[in-house]
Amino acid sequence: MTIAVEILGASFFATHHASPADALAGVGRAFTPPAFALLVGRARRFTSLVTQLHMEVCGGLPAHASAGDLPAVFATCHGEIQTALRLISDFRDIGEVSSAQFAHSVHNTPSGLWAIATRTAAPTTTLTGENAIAAGWLEAALLARETGGLVVLSIADEPVPPAFRGPGEAGGVAAAFLVGPAAHVGRPAVLLIDESGGDAERPSGILARAVHACSRRDAGDLVLGAVAPGRSLRLLVSAAS
Amino acid sequence: MTSRHAITAVAIANCLGSRNEVVFARAFDGSDGFRPATAFFAFPFETELGVMDLHDEENGDDWAGCAPTRLARVALASARQITGAVQAAIERWGARRVAYVFSSSTGGLEQTERHLAPHPSLAGGLHFDYAYADHGIDATVAAFARRLGARGLQASVSTACSSGLKALATAARFIEHDLADAVVVASADSLCRTTIFGFASLGLLAPTATRPFGRDRCGITLGEGSAYLLLERKSPETARQALGWLAGLGARTDAFHQTSPHPEGVGAELAMRQALGRAGLEVADLDLVLAHATGTRLNDAVEGAALGRLLGTAVPVTATKSLTGHTLGSSGLTALVLAVEALRRQEIPATLRADPVDPSLGLTVISERTAARLDQVLVNAFGFGGSNASAVVSAHA
Repeated sequence: MTIAVEILGASFFATHHASPADALAGVGRAFTPPAFALLVGRARRFTSLVTQLHMEVCGGLPAHASAGDLPAVFATCHGEIQTALRLISDFRDIGEVSSAQFAHSVHNTPSGLWAIATRTAAPTTTLTGENAIAAGWLEAALLARETGGLVVLSIADEPVPPAFRGPGEAGGVAAAFLVGPAAHVGRPAVLLIDESGGDAERPSGILARAVHACSRRDAGDLVLGAVAPGRSLRLLVSAAS
Repeated sequence: MTSRHAITAVAIANCLGSRNEVVFARAFDGSDGFRPATAFFAFPFETELGVMDLHDEENGDDWAGCAPTRLARVALASARQITGAVQAAIERWGARRVAYVFSSSTGGLEQTERHLAPHPSLAGGLHFDYAYADHGIDATVAAFARRLGARGLQASVSTACSSGLKALATAARFIEHDLADAVVVASADSLCRTTIFGFASLGLLAPTATRPFGRDRCGITLGEGSAYLLLERKSPETARQALGWLAGLGARTDAFHQTSPHPEGVGAELAMRQALGRAGLEVADLDLVLAHATGTRLNDAVEGAALGRLLGTAVPVTATKSLTGHTLGSSGLTALVLAVEALRRQEIPATLRADPVDPSLGLTVISERTAARLDQVLVNAFGFGGSNASAVVSAHA
């Protein structure tokens, strides 16, 4: 099963790597917070790192991504995991929680703030869980094919606090893509569901590889993750013409 | 949507009961399942909750091979009921063509709370080691899909209280783009302290049982529950078995505020209009609305304004959260399953405690069990982040 798409923009940010190439080469940097300039004024308050990461990479897409009333797909493996820890700690220790923190605790917090920042009423959704990257790509591609227009795809995660005993990513990482159906003028690519099975690569590596593939002139081929038992979603990016 | 999809099986479990027949009987008889919040935890404030009776002998570990968290046990009550229908779909289409799309707002958060904030007054715990795999929205997905035999695509959706209807949109997309022939569309949310303390912090919890659309409404009664349905490609066989049809879906975003709805309900109205349009229906074709109707002053007023502009008083409206409580990410599919049952019974479940109805809403709110000719029902689910979703279910293909 293949789905033809085109990629009209890609953006990457990692708190501990300056570029996708550095992330893939293991070249680190000191923790660098996202500027997330897409949010202004009060909208910047109470934002978690994962929300800031989403806003940073969405802001790094071509301008028409935030001005075109485009549907958006957000994906995150862990969601607002640091806010969840704060809320649990608060009700445990002081018997109440912050209303502002609670308001920003749901998985679709970034999509709500994205809609406010870009003043778009277009639909958004949020895919989550272990296969969030692959599921997000699939949703974005199907939505692009369904609407015949562009779709914003944003994928981000912040580190899971040690108290959760979760998977250990040292920093935050995010990537965004402007995905269109095959009819647009963009970098041709194909999503392929095949039998290559699950992939053990960390989300940060997958995101760096995906943006790297979209940014180079030669063809790229990477596994985005499992979408079904024994089946994975691959992204095949054609060479730039 | 390019065509209507058959709903060939439904399952529901919540504070009204753990089996379809019990939930439907109590819902249409007009009883709620609310209890004082102390049935779950000793909160420092007064509220009621829709707490499920979870039996320790029925747990996810036995059935699906996953940890028997509260989420798993809440989900299990519905998943068990749909097993036979999924088996039939697998025989019809093949296991790899049956997908599983799950939705929840909090996922396994309650299990993490037990790990990080244990407390002797907390009800309903089973003792086992905490693992991060039990925390996520997708904590039960692989195990439940495996147990059901569905080997198709898997996805997990989390858009707060609109999660269930957003999952339905993902599922319909899988069928329309030929990635699946049948999809188990699932939702579950268990009670957890984070959301109860959280809604208390927003001042939105009702001290007594919720009264959606009532003049004296005073907030939300939270609940827990699960709702599953089997969505299948239209075929002669599925047409014979269909309990109802998913006719149209709509989704729009408020772009206004993280927790408060747009004051005029613009996003909600657009979502409803889109769902109707995609179903190929006019307002006059609608027979009933199962509103989101959480029972807060603001939310009901805003949804009422949007419904008033769309429908006037011609179409009856009811609020099933007065029966089940607000089951968050599961609320959309919970209402949709009740809509399918309403089509089957040709009856409208009552909005409990709505009388006297808020006259400023200008709606025809059904406050008593009512027989009616029902062919098309609109279901709403709105959530934090200004996420609005609507669905139309129809008696006809």
